[in-house]
Amino acid sequence: MEKTLECFKRILGKSKKENIDILIRGIFGISALISASVIIIIIIFITIKGVTPFISYNQGLGQVNIFRFLTGRVWLDGAAFSSSLYGVGFIIINTVYIALLSLMISMPIGVLTALFIAKVAPQRLSIFLRTVVELLSAIPSIVYGLFGSGVILVLVYNFAELVGIQSKGGNSVIATVLVLSLMSLPTITAISEVAIRSVGKDIELGSLALGATKTQTNFKVVLASAKSGIFASAILGVGRALGEATAVSLVAGNSKSGPSLGLFDITSTLTSTMLEGLKETTGLDYDIRFSVGIVLMIVILLTNIILNYVKRKVGSVSVK
Amino acid sequence: MRKIIIIGLTLISALYLVGCDNNQLDTSFDATKSITVYTRDTSSGTRTGFMNGIGFGDAAEDNSLLVSGFVTKDNTGILTAMKNDEYGIGFISLASLNNTVKGLAFNGVEPTIANVINNTYSLKRPFNYVIRADGDYGSLDKENLTKAFIAFLGTIDGSDIINDKGAIPLSATGTWDDIKAEHNVCLKDNSNIVIKFGGSDSIEKIAKALSSAFAPKCGGFIAEHDHTGSSDGFKRTQGSEKDSDNAKDVGFASRDFKDTEIGDIGTQGQLAWDAIVAIVNNRNTLNAITQESLKSIYDGTYKVWEDINQ
Amino acid sequence: MSNKRKLNDIFYQFITYISALISVLALSSIFMFVFIKGSSLLDFGLLFNDYHEKYYNGGFNGDIDFSLTPEPDNLEANEFYSSMWGIALKDAKDREGNAIIIVSYISKDSPFSNMYDKNSVDIESSIVIKEGNIVSKISYYDKPTSLTRYGAELMIKDLDTVTDIREVVYTSLGGGIRGSLLTTLFIIGLTLVLALPMGIFTAIYLNEFAKKNKITNLIRSLIETLTGVPSIIYGLMGLAVFVPFTIAITKADSANLISGSMTLAVILLPIIIRSTEESLKVIPDDLRTASLALGANKTQTTFRAVLPSAYPGIVTATLLAVGRIIGESAALIFAIGTAIKDDVSIFGRSTTLSVHIWSLMKDEPANIELASTIALIILIIVLALNILVKLVSKKFITKIV
Repeated sequence: MEKTLECFKRILGKSKKENIDILIRGIFGISALISASVIIIIIIFITIKGVTPFISYNQGLGQVNIFRFLTGRVWLDGAAFSSSLYGVGFIIINTVYIALLSLMISMPIGVLTALFIAKVAPQRLSIFLRTVVELLSAIPSIVYGLFGSGVILVLVYNFAELVGIQSKGGNSVIATVLVLSLMSLPTITAISEVAIRSVGKDIELGSLALGATKTQTNFKVVLASAKSGIFASAILGVGRALGEATAVSLVAGNSKSGPSLGLFDITSTLTSTMLEGLKETTGLDYDIRFSVGIVLMIVILLTNIILNYVKRKVGSVSVK
Repeated sequence: MRKIIIIGLTLISALYLVGCDNNQLDTSFDATKSITVYTRDTSSGTRTGFMNGIGFGDAAEDNSLLVSGFVTKDNTGILTAMKNDEYGIGFISLASLNNTVKGLAFNGVEPTIANVINNTYSLKRPFNYVIRADGDYGSLDKENLTKAFIAFLGTIDGSDIINDKGAIPLSATGTWDDIKAEHNVCLKDNSNIVIKFGGSDSIEKIAKALSSAFAPKCGGFIAEHDHTGSSDGFKRTQGSEKDSDNAKDVGFASRDFKDTEIGDIGTQGQLAWDAIVAIVNNRNTLNAITQESLKSIYDGTYKVWEDINQ
Repeated sequence: MSNKRKLNDIFYQFITYISALISVLALSSIFMFVFIKGSSLLDFGLLFNDYHEKYYNGGFNGDIDFSLTPEPDNLEANEFYSSMWGIALKDAKDREGNAIIIVSYISKDSPFSNMYDKNSVDIESSIVIKEGNIVSKISYYDKPTSLTRYGAELMIKDLDTVTDIREVVYTSLGGGIRGSLLTTLFIIGLTLVLALPMGIFTAIYLNEFAKKNKITNLIRSLIETLTGVPSIIYGLMGLAVFVPFTIAITKADSANLISGSMTLAVILLPIIIRSTEESLKVIPDDLRTASLALGANKTQTTFRAVLPSAYPGIVTATLLAVGRIIGESAALIFAIGTAIKDDVSIFGRSTTLSVHIWSLMKDEPANIELASTIALIILIIVLALNILVKLVSKKFITKIV
């Protein structure tokens, strides 16, 4: 109580300007706290729902064995709503595999496109390209899915036929990877471009003055200085790849066992598994999706931690 | 700048030409290739109807009984896949069948509406409705409106609409004009009453056509459609979600009601039949299939196309 | 310059150009896809029409005066005319690709110009079929109904054999997206009002006020984690948290636009925070110290000196946010529902353009053309917004400089 009074006295003792300062700081601080606590609300909510299948008897179906769940190579052994033999081990591997493959395609292309827009292209072209990228990030994922099933599946199917493989209608790892690369390309390009653009002019000029060519400067100095932003874009890109559901479920083929490592095998991801048949709203087959949600969150969290770790490691060798 | 754009445009058109060429790549059908099996997911009413129809009812909700490596897609997905995949087989509702794919005759009977009506085509499923229990609507007008709607389903006017949307109505007697005197609620102004429809999404189009044709006949009530799947039909009218904010006044199911879905007497009934068709790519040489062959394909006994004795 | 260096230069330049080209190619093929599939249905009627067609139900009382107008000679081959009933019909497709029969001509003395409204309690009320109406069905007293699915030719043939009609059901052309368009605008407005201040304040706090300690780091990484949460999970959260919340504090009684906007606001937070922070980071510390040295306090410095320089970043954030709002479907399916409405209220359910696409795709058979048309409209809206925001920001920047 005394402390509070003391605090009030201190506030009252200060000038109006300083009071406003404190008020504003308070408002900003509270905003930050709320923003940060949202993730905690999500985690609490999903954990409560998602742990249920492992600790309750699921209306007589028996507990889901968590070890089997995490290492299983078949999604569901038995009929929906009358079996508790779920497994997501292979889906975890599929999901990470697909996200990494798509990052390997979208990352170099996206970053280099960003470099092109920010440093190489004439001004008009770069304005045009930037608009294109911004537009693309607004295309609903279902449209990417339509494009995927209308164009990419046909191309993959025909390509597989050319090399003598019978693919399952083009539904495959490679089709999923291509769709996801396309989807994360605008995100990666937009964020990387901001990062590249914000590299100080003096650093660039310094490099040029030391006799480096424009291209050398772009690759060795500009990209290196923009590392932190580029990694941020990679994190967002991976996030999109890991979390995308609608488009993926149209091209993956939604396999029920695996893992699928061959490029032309059908596959499934954690999100496509969650989305499938989500119409049901009670029972184990519904609750288990929240468990998959937890797994997805953990996978994303681990990926973020690893990428952030790499970001810090790489970022510390800054040219600044 | 201009050069870059020109080069870009040329490359785009080149890409499209390649894409088109690939589409037209004509290869003859090779029966030694393996069969790619497409299915809907376990919550689909079409899948239940299909699996029951081919004598493989256990697989309606059990993926582990199906041949390994099957592909799960939604209705549109199966249709587009069959345009592309020469060696695939899938199933859709007769109403969705068009000439981009080939619909197979089932046990020697062509999949046509006439054959469903004369009861020779046997791969079919019922379209059912369920309404809330008596006195559970919140208002008497709402209850009477809902019952008037159900009465409308059984009239010639109702079955005309069902017929027009591609399903096969049960035989109807009498017109709405004949029975409308029994439904006084339709003489009132009902424009502030909302009737909520839900359940099977296969029936959504028919349900929408029925409600929008019936609403002006019955005081202009507002019809709200939110179709999420057969299992929600009972659940949201008389089951566990009947009092949630997802609650519905009329629910539909594109399959028989399960034993756990039996509601109060007089609240459930059938409005139509729908046929399911096994479909393949247009280049496939197969034109007809038997119930046994379909089961053997879906359980993995037949692995390649030449396994099927035509 | 050494040869090796030149070669290296050329190589690096080459891969940059190739990458940019690949992006442009990939991205433009999506545009092409959307455009080719969707442009056929694009017209202004689509934007302003209702989604649900309006049904009319006409009947005849007493004797019918048949039309005396002979077949007009300007009818095309696909138009079928009944001289008795004075009406020409033709087969067409509606916006969802369903077969319909459309009235292409009606003579002045057609019996269809003098019917009573069977849906009205008032027997004296009269209704009239107009050109452009869609005939849904014509039923008779003693023969099977003429239905859309049998085509216009048969319907005219049937008409020519009868002298009385029990009822004619006809409709206006539906399938418009006015309701969804309106919903999208409502949602964009509501979400930005919720998310922008919150996001910008958080970014400012983190970048300008917060001390570099563990708590700040924790807040930062918590927010960063938010970026990776897939929209399905946000949707489930919206359903479990925001829907009951809005039902409790507003007059809404089901999922509604407010609960949807709250869910979207959460999705957008990390995007807005990150973009704003990136642009705040770029502002040199000199600017801040100069402002402080001139006697401004921290608040003034933040609002007068730092924020205006961060303006481009905030604009980028807004744009990305609007893009995300327009494109989001998975979360909204749970947080608002999928009922397509013509009368939009922020306390009720309705669909944004994306969810409208999703609903169309779920139909059997799905309608890819209309879905692509809506996608095309989304692109046009985003393009317009993009240009608008850029113009505004240009003005703003020249003003303060």
